[in-house]
Amino acid sequence: MTGGAEARIPEPLATPLLSVDDVHAGYGRVRVLHGVSAAVEAGQLVGLIGPNGAGKSTILKAITGFARVSAGRIRYDGQDVTGVRADRLVPLGIAYVPQGRLVFAQMTVHENLEMGAFTVRDAGARQEAFSRVYDLFPRLADRRTQLAGTMSGGEQQMVAIGRGLMVRPRLMLLDEPSLGLAPRFVALVFETLQSLKAQGLAMLVVEQNAAQTLAIADRAYLLELGRNRLEGTGADLLANPETRRLYLGD
Amino acid sequence: MVAASVTGLAARRLTSGYTAAMVLLGVGVSLLPLMVSNYILTFVLQALMACALAGSWNLISGFTGYVSFGHAAFFGLGAYAAGIAIAKAAVPAPVAIASAAIVAGCAGLCLGYPALRLRGPYFAVGMLGVAEALRVGITVAEPVTGGGRGLVMPPQDVLLPAYFSMLALVVLIVAITRAVATRPVGLRLLAIREDEVAAEVTGIQTTRLKLVAFATSATLAGVAGGIYAWHMSYIDPTTVFAGSLTVRAIAMTMLGGQGTVFGPVIGSVVLSVIGEVTWARFPFLHNAVSGALIVVIVLFIPRGVTGVLQDRGVLPRSRTL
Repeated sequence: MTGGAEARIPEPLATPLLSVDDVHAGYGRVRVLHGVSAAVEAGQLVGLIGPNGAGKSTILKAITGFARVSAGRIRYDGQDVTGVRADRLVPLGIAYVPQGRLVFAQMTVHENLEMGAFTVRDAGARQEAFSRVYDLFPRLADRRTQLAGTMSGGEQQMVAIGRGLMVRPRLMLLDEPSLGLAPRFVALVFETLQSLKAQGLAMLVVEQNAAQTLAIADRAYLLELGRNRLEGTGADLLANPETRRLYLGD
Repeated sequence: MVAASVTGLAARRLTSGYTAAMVLLGVGVSLLPLMVSNYILTFVLQALMACALAGSWNLISGFTGYVSFGHAAFFGLGAYAAGIAIAKAAVPAPVAIASAAIVAGCAGLCLGYPALRLRGPYFAVGMLGVAEALRVGITVAEPVTGGGRGLVMPPQDVLLPAYFSMLALVVLIVAITRAVATRPVGLRLLAIREDEVAAEVTGIQTTRLKLVAFATSATLAGVAGGIYAWHMSYIDPTTVFAGSLTVRAIAMTMLGGQGTVFGPVIGSVVLSVIGEVTWARFPFLHNAVSGALIVVIVLFIPRGVTGVLQDRGVLPRSRTL
């Protein structure tokens, strides 16, 4: 591990909201993660960056039970959630926005959000959730009766993020939220992440767009071939010559 | 639900007019025995049976997109459960039909648990295999089932009670479908059809929900089979496990509109009439018609008649249709 003292943050004393400890995971017999660790503290925005095949998305899939964890532990808010599936994580306060903007194409924007909120029983809390999401994305409010499948990629990404926010999560896992979007929507996604952070939401964000992610991340992990390579604050990694050589392509 | 409010009052009037037309159809069918011959009554009974099969298929396949090519399996199991109960134990019809429901429902749970792990074409073909395996199993179990020669029950004239039982079953299926479609659970099932991963990450317990829908669908198909056996007083494996039963149910549901409340009703009325007209002159053509129709529907009107009418603005986009 290089980068000196500034890239090696001592282990936090408080228990983090989410901790991934030495996780090995993969699909079937294919191993993708060979002992990866990461932690997200309450209210932090943590970035996961790395080249293709590094296992960034697989970490999120391991947390949400879509990839099989063969060794290691995943803890959330003091409880062991290793292997717990996504539908059981929602009531615990974890929202997962998968890669590829998986919206319900034949449903309206409003119905998509409604699907996000169906675990919220209290009618007042549901109304509040709707207005919170429509405040965050006024564009969705204008188009609440439009079928989600007929919207642009950026708008669909807003629907997907908004749907995740409906349960008022404490932690949001986002997989490549800016992938394949027009530049102005990429900017909007990063603005949104910042304003969610300002509201106190903890996030674990997998991104190809490393420079922009590091610029807003409290902490970040650089992965390579299924292993931790570097970690530190976003600014540290951005300044680290190793990051630039390995990944940013300097 | 939401979209219907766009056009407001007119949409609501259209929706209630449409619903009223369907209620009238039901009343008409229930008054039919007062005015027509037994021949027509038998034809309508068969149409009702087809409608029950289409409606029960719609509950799992129309809503969740898990297209089953083995729906006849549950019809057949129900028919044999009721048939054996009548032939060997001489039980009254309600008991026989209840046992059809129980056997088909339990089979739905046991088969659905492994089968619903498969997706898309794998599920469709897997269910096809299940239906075929059950047909062979029933044929081989000759001491109990009568084997390939079929199962003979004491003949009795039950046309009218069978007619009203089948009508009640269709009304029940439509009522269940409407209850599902207008409640959040319907939206959850449709979410599975749209994107199962996305459904799961919103917190939907997809496995449990699919299994409940599948077992309900199987139970209702089993009841249809039970009424059929009771009415015919003779069943054989080739008839009650016939793939054509499934294909017709699929064609009818797709024609009317899958995942809608009244789609299977519309489809079964239209296809039963077409089948009856062509049947007299071209005995084997109706199967070909069903097959060709599925191809045409998938290519040109994948959302069925209901979808076309909604796209043209004739009907509102309401989930109660």
